[in-house]
Amino acid sequence: MASSSGNDDDLTIPRAAINKMIKETLPNVRVANDARELVVNCCTEFIHLISSEANEICNKSEKKTISPEHVIQALESLGFGSYISEVKEVLQECKTVALKRRKASSRLENLGIPEEELLRQQQELFAKARQQQAELAQQEWLQMQQAAQQAQLAATASASNQAGSSQDEEDDDD
Amino acid sequence: MAAAGSGTPLEEEGPSGEAAAPQPQAPTSAPGARLSRLPLARVKALVKADPDVTLAGQEAIFILARAAELFVETIAKDAYCCAQQGKRKTLQRRDLDNAIEAVDEFAFLEGTLD
Repeated sequence: MASSSGNDDDLTIPRAAINKMIKETLPNVRVANDARELVVNCCTEFIHLISSEANEICNKSEKKTISPEHVIQALESLGFGSYISEVKEVLQECKTVALKRRKASSRLENLGIPEEELLRQQQELFAKARQQQAELAQQEWLQMQQAAQQAQLAATASASNQAGSSQDEEDDDD
Repeated sequence: MAAAGSGTPLEEEGPSGEAAAPQPQAPTSAPGARLSRLPLARVKALVKADPDVTLAGQEAIFILARAAELFVETIAKDAYCCAQQGKRKTLQRRDLDNAIEAVDEFAFLEGTLD
């Protein structure tokens, strides 16, 4: 549901995501709509706050990309240090998943065939298949032609036979 | 020769109620089971909306999303406490206002109260 009118400053976290989180945090609690709206805006502000602080920390660290460490430091300095232990669990899961993915792709590489080679083989197989099909089609065409010729010959032969026999009869009659 | 009633196209033999082809699930951009309930693309967009931010790594986005999730949980619970004190079962906006004013770390939110 990306809006095409790209005014970045109107971006917020989608309401549905917030509603879901509220529901999971406070099941069976009714929440007024304007309260939900406020939560959406607060969440957006929070993200701006942390990312801004993390960006400053990043700039000071001579690194160009905001790293998880920068975010963690930002959380600490802004008084959200209590979030850090849970946030680090996410980091752990990221690394685990990244590791699995790397293992999976290296297993593929261990077949000994790099991707380029596989592509090349694929192209070869396609070309071969195309060729076989072309030959097959040609064979069929030749067979059809031969069959047609034979049919023609047979037709002329029987026609001339008939003509011949009728002539004989005529001779006899004479 | 029109065959009456015999629907040759497969669509007519379609399933009675349920969709024959299951809706393909949108692949989650997040690796792993569920790292955050917040859409990561949106979080990233929000981070990048800051003109001072040049680059943010993917992992940084993930943990920022998780932190935002924790924030929402915290503020919702705080606000609920206020509602309970007021002996109400419905969370109102003023409960959030109170929760924000009560916590120093939430001072940055006072701009959003308007």
